[in-house]
Amino acid sequence: MTYIATFYSHFGAIRFKRLCRDAGIPAELMPVPRNLSSSCGTCVRYGGETPCPAAQYPEEVEQVVAVTGKGYALLFRAENG
Amino acid sequence: MIKNREKTGIVLAGIAIGVIASLLVLFGNPVNMGFCIACFLRDISGALGLHTAGAVQYIRPEILGLVLGSFLMALLRKEFSPRGGSSPLTRFVLGFFVMIGCLMFLGCPFRMILRLAGGDLNALFGLLGFVCGILVGVFFLNRGYSLKRTYKLPVLEGAAFSIIQVVLLVLLVAAPAFIYFSEAGAGPGALHAPILISLAAGLIVGALAQWTRLCMVGGIRDLVLFREWKLLMGFLAILVSALICNLVLTAVKAGTFFTLGLEGQPVAHTDGLWNFLGMLLTGFGCVLLGGCPLRQLVLSGEGNTDSAIAVLGLAIGAAFAHNFGLASSAAGPTANGKVAVLIGIVVVAVIAVANTVQKKQA
Repeated sequence: MTYIATFYSHFGAIRFKRLCRDAGIPAELMPVPRNLSSSCGTCVRYGGETPCPAAQYPEEVEQVVAVTGKGYALLFRAENG
Repeated sequence: MIKNREKTGIVLAGIAIGVIASLLVLFGNPVNMGFCIACFLRDISGALGLHTAGAVQYIRPEILGLVLGSFLMALLRKEFSPRGGSSPLTRFVLGFFVMIGCLMFLGCPFRMILRLAGGDLNALFGLLGFVCGILVGVFFLNRGYSLKRTYKLPVLEGAAFSIIQVVLLVLLVAAPAFIYFSEAGAGPGALHAPILISLAAGLIVGALAQWTRLCMVGGIRDLVLFREWKLLMGFLAILVSALICNLVLTAVKAGTFFTLGLEGQPVAHTDGLWNFLGMLLTGFGCVLLGGCPLRQLVLSGEGNTDSAIAVLGLAIGAAFAHNFGLASSAAGPTANGKVAVLIGIVVVAVIAVANTVQKKQA
């Protein structure tokens, strides 16, 4: 499965990518796709068995979606975000 | 496939925006100033009496249209999202000094492109400074710079800035005695297209910019960070279409729409160093804000109150620039303006350092 995580800051994305890398999960930084959000920040596209590469999502994560054939399926959104 | 469609969309939007900007000059806006977020916010500040420079006072419908166009497009796309709380006062200060940089150069990043499309080579110094400022900002982004997260807000809070634009529109049309308008011949503030044309232009550009996420800062930032040209292609399209439109208008109409050179350019000066430093401050501050002044207006329309605060910082910065003699003129930069730009670079650098998480802590 492929997932995309968006963040409140660019550095949050860098740290998340590092987290994926340490967990042996392939991940890449990229601009947030337009059809996912009107925000123009940085996201991480990554793979893996589960959408969360750690015990819980870091606080910089805004939302996580699974990439499906028809678009995106929301898996996580930060509280009050 | 989707990526190609996005690229085509942004290029087509850029072409449309370039043509609209050029035509606004034909309809009465100052030359090379079909759109200028900095200049137009400065004119609105003047119209509201926040400064008393008689040459630059007018409620520019383009600004109101940009916000409302973005607001309507966001509603249509179900992307209206009231949010805020990400270091608003810091954003105000950044907006303030971004305006000081813009008024040193005499234009925002959008007008910088339009000045190039009008043959004003002074804008090349500005472009160089702008890119350098963005590179400095990206340096801090990669080292942990963040103004912290935003939070969901009530709908009315997110819509308040758009409602304010409607109030400004009423004031423009009603023209009560307490609103100041530059008198004919007084300067750039007296030069404007008819209200309906300006408003329609703003609405269209606001809607297109919301749809495409057009952002001059984001374009260069994405190119540096990801080798991604998409956002920048929008501005290249604006440059090319406005340039072609200016050349055509120069050939078929009386009036000056394109003059290649450094000297005698409209609402511009020839001091390369301060054009460079002004836009360096602008580029640096805009990266820390997360977008250029145009993008701040568009995000405000989407319900982002942090961006609305940044726009208020821009407007107050413009008022200060004219009240304290910081803004440049065709005669060149002022001594006060030079000091203000240097202070601005220091303040923005302090904000960058103070909000950067060191790698060791990360």
